[in-house]
Amino acid sequence: MPTGTVLSVGMAEIKVAKGPVVYSCLGLGSCIGLCAIDAASGVSGMVHIMLPEAFKDKPVEKPGKFADTGLPEMLKLMEKQGADLGRLQVAYAGGAQVFNFGASADSRLDVGARNATAVEALVLKLRLRVLGKDVGGSSGRTVTVDTSTGVCTVRTVKAGEAELCRLKSV
Amino acid sequence: MNTQGLGLLQSSAVKEMANIGLGHAATALAGLTGQTYVMDVPVVERLVLEDVPQFVGGREDVMVAVYMDFEGDVVGQTAYVFPWDSAQVLWATLVGKAPATPDDVDELAASATLEVGNIICSSFLNAISDLTGLRMHATPPMVSIDSVTSILSTVAAEAEIRDLLGLVLETDIRMEGTPRTPGYFLCMPNEAGLSLLLERMGVSEAA
Repeated sequence: MPTGTVLSVGMAEIKVAKGPVVYSCLGLGSCIGLCAIDAASGVSGMVHIMLPEAFKDKPVEKPGKFADTGLPEMLKLMEKQGADLGRLQVAYAGGAQVFNFGASADSRLDVGARNATAVEALVLKLRLRVLGKDVGGSSGRTVTVDTSTGVCTVRTVKAGEAELCRLKSV
Repeated sequence: MNTQGLGLLQSSAVKEMANIGLGHAATALAGLTGQTYVMDVPVVERLVLEDVPQFVGGREDVMVAVYMDFEGDVVGQTAYVFPWDSAQVLWATLVGKAPATPDDVDELAASATLEVGNIICSSFLNAISDLTGLRMHATPPMVSIDSVTSILSTVAAEAEIRDLLGLVLETDIRMEGTPRTPGYFLCMPNEAGLSLLLERMGVSEAA
């Protein structure tokens, strides 16, 4: 049973906490939910990414909306709370193409795949240790991370709930 | 939730367009199925895109959605998102049997959904096009059967890329005599397109 406070991470939001919490990203379609835990300091964070990169011609009001601004912003907030970024363990899921039936289903609404590619490139660039990922496909996901156990679960309509991985708990 | 307040006049003009558009959609559905369809007067909200999924209040129940881009004087996208129960009534009418679970939706049921969605979205667009004299052409639709939040977040993300507005209509198009099960119709025009539509409805953007 989850022990900590439940933090619901809505679209384009970043949540950071110290101590045991349960993060929940509900109904990730093409979006990606990424969670990082630094077990030693007890600091964790989750971001609900909507799009791969910020628009060049528009100010970024919510950094969590984009992969290229959201992930660095979350790490910055975690560092402020005392996290050592070198110790982070990361898991992420999402980036589906839920509109998978119809003549143009292969060519339109590919933002899920683009999100997955962008996040993949970023975690490599930032040298983050990824313990679990579940991206692509055609099923929307709900992702839950309990930092008191480190257990990351993914729930879909068709496959039900399954454990994605176990990060080192706080 | 940020509703980006439409002015009173704008709001009533949008509501009128929604009423006419959805009314035509219900009539078209009646023509397709040979049944009488009734419609709830829609509740209309203009939302910041990242708040669109919250409109349903964090639910994860399975819904059926048809998504369609439109082109012309007004560009944008529409999606009709309706409850699993309503979809089952439709499937029973159109293909003779209703799949028990989302896993059981076969090619035939999916095609029927595509056709129904095509008719609903196209008649909505045609009605508004006739009303305003602005061209809004339908394009081939796509179907999703998933949790309602996954569907809405995907549609909102696409709208964000294309810089569209989030108009959400809560409504229910249902066969007469079946229980009320509200669904959602998303009409997401570009900003210039909405201004044009409102202008043709006799409402200026500043109102």
